[in-house]
Amino acid sequence: MSAETAASVGAAASGKAAARAGLVLTGVGYRYAGASAAALVSIDLRLEPGRVVGLVGANESGKSTLCLVVAGLAPGVIGGRLDGSVRVDGVETATMRPHELAQRCGLLFQNAATQLSNTTSTVFEEIAFGPCNLGLPAAEVVGRVWWALRTAGIEPLAPRDPARLSGGQAQLVALASVLALRPGYLVLDEPTSELDPAGTRLVADALTRIARETGAGILVVEHKTDVLAQIADEVVVLERGAVVLSGPAAVTLADPRLVALGVEAPAAVRLERAVRASGIEWSAALAEAIE
Amino acid sequence: MIQADEEALLPAYVRRIPAGGYRSLNPLTKLTLAAVSAIVAFGVRGWTGPAVVLVVVVSSALVAGVLRRMAPFALATLPLVASILLVNTFLYPNAHDVIAVFGPLSPTWTGATAALQATLRVVAFGLSAALFALTTPIDDLLGELERRRVGRRGSFVVGSALGAIPRTVERAREVVDAQRSRGMDTEGRLWRRFRGLVPLIGPVLFGALAEVEERTMALEARAFTAPGRRTILRSLPDSGWQRAARWLLLVGSIAAVVVSLAGAVKLP
Amino acid sequence: MGLLTRWVRRQFTTRVIVLMPVAIAINIVLGYTVQNVLKLPIYVDSIGTILVGCVAGPLPGAITGILSNLIWQYAPGIGGSSIGPFAVTAGVIGFMAGIWGYLGVFRSRPASGLRLIVPAAIAVAIIVVLAARMYTIPQYNDPNAGNYPSWVYGAIVVIGAAASIAVALFVYLRRDAAGAWVAVAGALTGVVAAIVSAPIAAVVYGGVTGSGTDFVVAALRQGGADVYNASLGQGLLSDPIDKTITSFVVFLILAGVSSRFLARFPLGDRLVHVDAEPARSPEPTGTPSDS
Repeated sequence: MSAETAASVGAAASGKAAARAGLVLTGVGYRYAGASAAALVSIDLRLEPGRVVGLVGANESGKSTLCLVVAGLAPGVIGGRLDGSVRVDGVETATMRPHELAQRCGLLFQNAATQLSNTTSTVFEEIAFGPCNLGLPAAEVVGRVWWALRTAGIEPLAPRDPARLSGGQAQLVALASVLALRPGYLVLDEPTSELDPAGTRLVADALTRIARETGAGILVVEHKTDVLAQIADEVVVLERGAVVLSGPAAVTLADPRLVALGVEAPAAVRLERAVRASGIEWSAALAEAIE
Repeated sequence: MIQADEEALLPAYVRRIPAGGYRSLNPLTKLTLAAVSAIVAFGVRGWTGPAVVLVVVVSSALVAGVLRRMAPFALATLPLVASILLVNTFLYPNAHDVIAVFGPLSPTWTGATAALQATLRVVAFGLSAALFALTTPIDDLLGELERRRVGRRGSFVVGSALGAIPRTVERAREVVDAQRSRGMDTEGRLWRRFRGLVPLIGPVLFGALAEVEERTMALEARAFTAPGRRTILRSLPDSGWQRAARWLLLVGSIAAVVVSLAGAVKLP
Repeated sequence: MGLLTRWVRRQFTTRVIVLMPVAIAINIVLGYTVQNVLKLPIYVDSIGTILVGCVAGPLPGAITGILSNLIWQYAPGIGGSSIGPFAVTAGVIGFMAGIWGYLGVFRSRPASGLRLIVPAAIAVAIIVVLAARMYTIPQYNDPNAGNYPSWVYGAIVVIGAAASIAVALFVYLRRDAAGAWVAVAGALTGVVAAIVSAPIAAVVYGGVTGSGTDFVVAALRQGGADVYNASLGQGLLSDPIDKTITSFVVFLILAGVSSRFLARFPLGDRLVHVDAEPARSPEPTGTPSDS
């Protein structure tokens, strides 16, 4: 019973991908309430369904602020002033209430513990928290929960107590909770920063799977450029609230200007540079072997 | 309202229907019993009120199998009981029926009686609270309340507070340990203990407040403010007689208090 | 009715709903630690209540207080003790804190020189008047109500003097006139709390509560006071002190938290100056800054 429901829910989700226009920021500027300087300046960004876009930049470059703006929480929940337009599948986010935004664009933070509601005793009910808030019929809620568990790859965790999970597991539960609202787009603000390598791998694999299976457009802020090298199609670099570099992931991550912008290149790129710098031949075979 | 066939959708670990004579009562019934116990234990003057409550509570605890686990709760009332017994027996105002003469601090029969009565009330109340705490999982209660229109925000506040307590205790414990290793006194002189208080409050408070912003956004991101009624997945059994019993108990207890206060019926 | 509904709804924003459980936990944990672990003769179980009251309003403050007491009494693991019936007092404290919040009592008022002395002087005067009033109430004077031993009068004088000096010092050292108003608000809250608690303690518990303050009750009884007056006498000695200390703690917390954070609460505009400068202190971690 649950498998069929889950499959049908999943099919409905990916079927939507083809028709969607993308999440588009045009000339977006943002200033926090009471702040003197703008946090974001004239940003143009496009998030296509099914694509993963990585966002990098030094500290204080506006990455977290951009996440809040893309997800519509700024200015919707935290106030402040927004210039320009943010459209999700053609609809301005400024016109949407927070619960409507939540169903279009999901947002994940780096600290998994603060995202759990702390009011549920099982992971199953934790993931059901969002759909229940929408007042959906019980059968649909259950279907969505199973689908989200499967997509995030955490079905065995369903009976567990959310308060007693490892960092990586908790982050995946938070991810599944957001997925259960079936957003067309996902924004993640440093999801692996508090995780060990095993947890990081879990989350990275889940993100790739989500983009592929549900057709969601994903924006990931990451300091770990290795993760982005693995999962991102495109990478955008921010500096002082403005986009300074953008392009396909492989190209942008290998750009020599990254270091000056406060971003460490992926290990493979650094290795290649070090090898070339010491005069050794760098061949495609070596690159293959490292991958 | 979830139907019977929809019930089957939920895995057993979500349905969590409690078993046992007392536990299987609807949480609202158990809540009513706790409230009524409090009202009668404190409101009905004399020995009868608290005695009845004690009998009911202890027998329910036996049925529910939690009698032994009530011991720590009973022990927790000890400082209060000791205080009541000492202060009232030896220092009851305007009492002259002295038990034995010890100068200015002579115990009196009036004082002792008042003390024992107060003790009985405290113990009855404490055990009724213990019975409720031990037999009623909070999410059961909150779910039932929400189904009866308490609203998602009230339910969230209580549920989240209960989850926040262990977290805050952990944080406080870490701070206390850190301070103790730096020489804070938890046993010593009053002034030292006061001094130790200040560095404890700051980190615990700021740590707790720091999360508020992110938790607010996380709630909004989960459609917490969506309009309409929230879906309640779990439903616990209730019955007509329980509903009737709840009303009867509530009305009956208030009536008993009124009658007792008015002095209409003299009970021991 | 529309006005009332709107007033109620305005006080219970999502942010307030998130703050309340945190405040309840603070009340319970700090109160338990102070009373049972450190065994000090004060309560310190209202910090969260007053905090919620002055940032959100009277209703959230009252509910925070009431729920704190009920949860403390009925929660598994820490239950027991005698705190439950005093939920009434806690509700009153929270409600009053909301009123102080509306009046802007907890707003910082940097001042210097003469503008500092006047509020300090007024506050000292009010404290002296309160103490003198307590000195002369029948409970302490009327032989029919119980003639109290002379140490009580001495205690009142000492406490009044110490409080006045402490407040004046605070105002002077922090160059903040608000200290005066906070002290007055705390003292008044304490007096009201004592008046509300006395009948509860007397009727429900025979005048004692099992906490460190019982020795005061005993001493007052020894002087001949009856059950109710002994409770009231003890309350009037310890509650104003406790609530004043608590109010100052809340004031210091509010001063240490960023104004951006405070401004987003319902009474935020009464807590921070209208043209808010950038945060004086580091953001609490977890608040997205411009990173």
